[in-house]
Amino acid sequence: MKRFFYFTLTCIFLFTATALAAKPQPKVYIKKLKNSRYQLIVDGKPYIVKGVCYNPIPIGQNHEYDWWSDPNKPWLVDGKLMQEMGVNTIRLYQGHEDPQEVKQVIRDLYQNYGIRTILGHWLGFWEYPCPLYGDKPFQEKVKKEILEMVNLYKDEPGILLWSLGNENNYSFSGQVNSWSSDEIDKEPDPATQKFMRAKIYYSFINALAGEIHKIDPNHPVALGNGELIGLEVAKQFAPDVDLISCIIYRGKTFGNLFNSLKATFDKPILIVEFGADAYDAYLKKEDQNMQAFFLESQWRQIYENLAENKEGPGNCLGGAMFEWTDEWWKHNENDAEAWKAHDTESNWSNGSYYFDIKAPKNMNMNEEWFGIVALSEEIADGLNKRIPRKAYYVIREFWKKPDLGKDKKRKVNKK
Amino acid sequence: MRQGRRKIRLFIVQCSLFCVFLFGVACAQDSAKVDTLKQQIMQAKSKEDSYAAFEEIADLYFDANKYNEFVSFLDSLGKEKKELEPLADYFTALCRYYQLKYLEEVQNWDEYFAQGNTYRDQIVASAQKVLDATAPGDAPHLYARLILWKFHKDQQDAFSDEALENLMRAAAEYAQGTADIMPVKAAADELSAYAEKGKSRELYKIYVNRVLSSDIRAEDLKNTAADFYEQGNSELAQLVYDAYLERISKDCPKGKLIPILTDIARKFSSPEAKAGDPLYAEKIFQRIEEAGGKETFEQELIYLRAKNLEKAKLYAQAKDAYIGLTRRFTDSPHADEANFKTGIIYTYILRDAKNGKDYFEKLARQEAVTPQVISALYQLGLLKQWEADNSGAGDYYQRLIDKAKGGYQQIVALAQERLKEINAAKPLDYNLQSLLDAGLKEENAGLDMTKLDLKSSPPVPKKNKEVEITSVAYTAESGCTQVQIQYLWSGDLGAAQPASTQPSFSTRYDEPGTYIVGLIAVSPSGIIDRGLAIIDVQ
Repeated sequence: MKRFFYFTLTCIFLFTATALAAKPQPKVYIKKLKNSRYQLIVDGKPYIVKGVCYNPIPIGQNHEYDWWSDPNKPWLVDGKLMQEMGVNTIRLYQGHEDPQEVKQVIRDLYQNYGIRTILGHWLGFWEYPCPLYGDKPFQEKVKKEILEMVNLYKDEPGILLWSLGNENNYSFSGQVNSWSSDEIDKEPDPATQKFMRAKIYYSFINALAGEIHKIDPNHPVALGNGELIGLEVAKQFAPDVDLISCIIYRGKTFGNLFNSLKATFDKPILIVEFGADAYDAYLKKEDQNMQAFFLESQWRQIYENLAENKEGPGNCLGGAMFEWTDEWWKHNENDAEAWKAHDTESNWSNGSYYFDIKAPKNMNMNEEWFGIVALSEEIADGLNKRIPRKAYYVIREFWKKPDLGKDKKRKVNKK
Repeated sequence: MRQGRRKIRLFIVQCSLFCVFLFGVACAQDSAKVDTLKQQIMQAKSKEDSYAAFEEIADLYFDANKYNEFVSFLDSLGKEKKELEPLADYFTALCRYYQLKYLEEVQNWDEYFAQGNTYRDQIVASAQKVLDATAPGDAPHLYARLILWKFHKDQQDAFSDEALENLMRAAAEYAQGTADIMPVKAAADELSAYAEKGKSRELYKIYVNRVLSSDIRAEDLKNTAADFYEQGNSELAQLVYDAYLERISKDCPKGKLIPILTDIARKFSSPEAKAGDPLYAEKIFQRIEEAGGKETFEQELIYLRAKNLEKAKLYAQAKDAYIGLTRRFTDSPHADEANFKTGIIYTYILRDAKNGKDYFEKLARQEAVTPQVISALYQLGLLKQWEADNSGAGDYYQRLIDKAKGGYQQIVALAQERLKEINAAKPLDYNLQSLLDAGLKEENAGLDMTKLDLKSSPPVPKKNKEVEITSVAYTAESGCTQVQIQYLWSGDLGAAQPASTQPSFSTRYDEPGTYIVGLIAVSPSGIIDRGLAIIDVQ
């Protein structure tokens, strides 16, 4: 009798243990460590996102150009250069209408170069006349697109995570892509209006995150956000997102970003867009050093805030620099002639990029000059020849030896 | 001809040789000075003596931007005399800190990228060695904390808060000893330069308390405060003046105290002073009032206080002071300016056009013609026109033109433009209409002038000299998408006609007087705010 009892107990134990062991870990997930430190785990190993934003528009074309079906496959040339630099991730702002072509890009980059893809979605932010986030049919339409995207690509081994939205939160103040609803229109106080927009938007994001988790437990869902604006509302209404993917342009450093996020909305952060342009708007000449200087400093701070660095807040998962190649169409997207010229007129001002802030009217940010590699008008293999800028080499060296100081505690393992 | 050329060549060669000689002499002098200072360091009997010599040597190397050479020198020094190691380590950290700044400034990127991490390592490691080798009562201990904080602060990294806490703790510990207090002031100066005002004030207080605990005479305290004021250190000057006033106020008779207070108030209310602070000046004005009552204020002092309040943007109080001035001194030379500004503050800032008009009317009734009388007539016309009383408005504009008698051309031109509008049955200029709507309509009460800042430079311009008028609109962040703001300028724009895309402009005024520039800033989501600049032209 006793023997039978022990036998049964052992069977139960073995069965439970086997069942537990058989439950697979998600392919990509976020591991929460002590003191709210976070690590991205991919295939069972910690993964630091060393990324670039990718949108390889050739000279003479604009954002409508379908590079996905380019027979010269620019991503193969770029992927090789990226791999040599140490890039392990690209960020795509949104997929393309032909899923086979999207799959091909994701597969080629992953299979040939081990580069994974963060796949994003604009959530209809640029739709005319405005993104109606308070409108149910609009929400349904966006939701359908998102779930289609997830279903189509979730089994691609190269997918790293999903990023919902970009700087959509800037619409809460009504200054960019202003949208409203009957309820918001009735509210006279602008601060309350702003809160109402944030609540509607983040609740929608939360619902999307929940739906994605149901169909794809293998990839985290990121909330794309400009700076940390609105995240105090997101904490309340979007608790189900796995991480925040932020767009940050603060010059040499990210300031108190990491601690601020911890205090506002304790989620891991991936800086999915940051960087510096390579044109000095004050001296009116290309300045690759200036770009490399800012990028090296930014990467140093990203590494200081990884979970591996015991002294920082440990909530950073990495970053994706803006951007891989220059885009010559950006200054004047309506003039096809202008797409053939590398425009040197600045589009916006940012005092944190201080070397050329004395440019006329403080307009120092040159949108067409953000590439880690420049484009040449010379054609090689059917593509504009890629010319790596100084930042390419400086960041490559930083990634090889990311020492942050002699103190051993401050050293970060190469991953 | 040939001989002439030869002479020129000879002259150039001689000049070059002389320059080389001078350079050689300078190098030899520096080298000799370094040797002398090195000897001083080696023979120094106290840490203070060697520190002074270290500082002098550091200046020589830093001035010549010879950072690597200085680090080699410090290395050898530390090896020669073990006791010097902490100071050598501190100066190594300081040297690498300045070197990184220098490389960035001159954009020596090759060295920056190749050696940057090594230098950063050295800053942290050398400072840490100083901390390990010294006690909290040693000056290098505090200096090491200071350099570490500056390093982390510049990098805005995760360690800067902790480094600041460590620095504050180190300063407090250091001050408990009997050593020289100047390192605490040095730390406070740096904190102040980095706009850490709360923290710098804490350390300045420690410094001032130590100064007070010495046998310093009240007069010397006053002179010390004046010195800090002259140096542009407003924060420390205020603390020392407060301590000085505290020391003298118990025994000083009223008759003596009030001129002292007046002198301090004048200093801090001066519009062009580097260390000026209108809020501190008003605090002193209040002490004058407490000491001697309102009657103590003679008319120049009331005028000064009113202008100071205006500068501090305490408009309601400024208006009361101007009213007080005109009531007590009816024939004051400042009466017209005071009445006009009272009218402006009532109308445009306090949203009370009824009271504003009373003050403009007071001026309009005057026989004597002054710039403010002319401006008041224009304001009265404008308010009538805004109220759709074109006939009344036309009367005021015509009276203005008649009174001006060919003078005041800039304001006359504005009145003529308004008259043209009236005669052509056109609406009031859009920008002016917007300014008056924003300031006077009840539904715009939320536009409280806190989101738009207007400044004129210089603060008190002269007639026919350039004045720069700048605006800053505080809008919600919009990331890479630049929000297009429209700037609706109006009022006394002088010789300029700024476009709606211009956030700033330069102009000139052809007569002395009080000029008003209005601005409405508009974003795609509506009016951001309204702003007003009151410009006194001399």
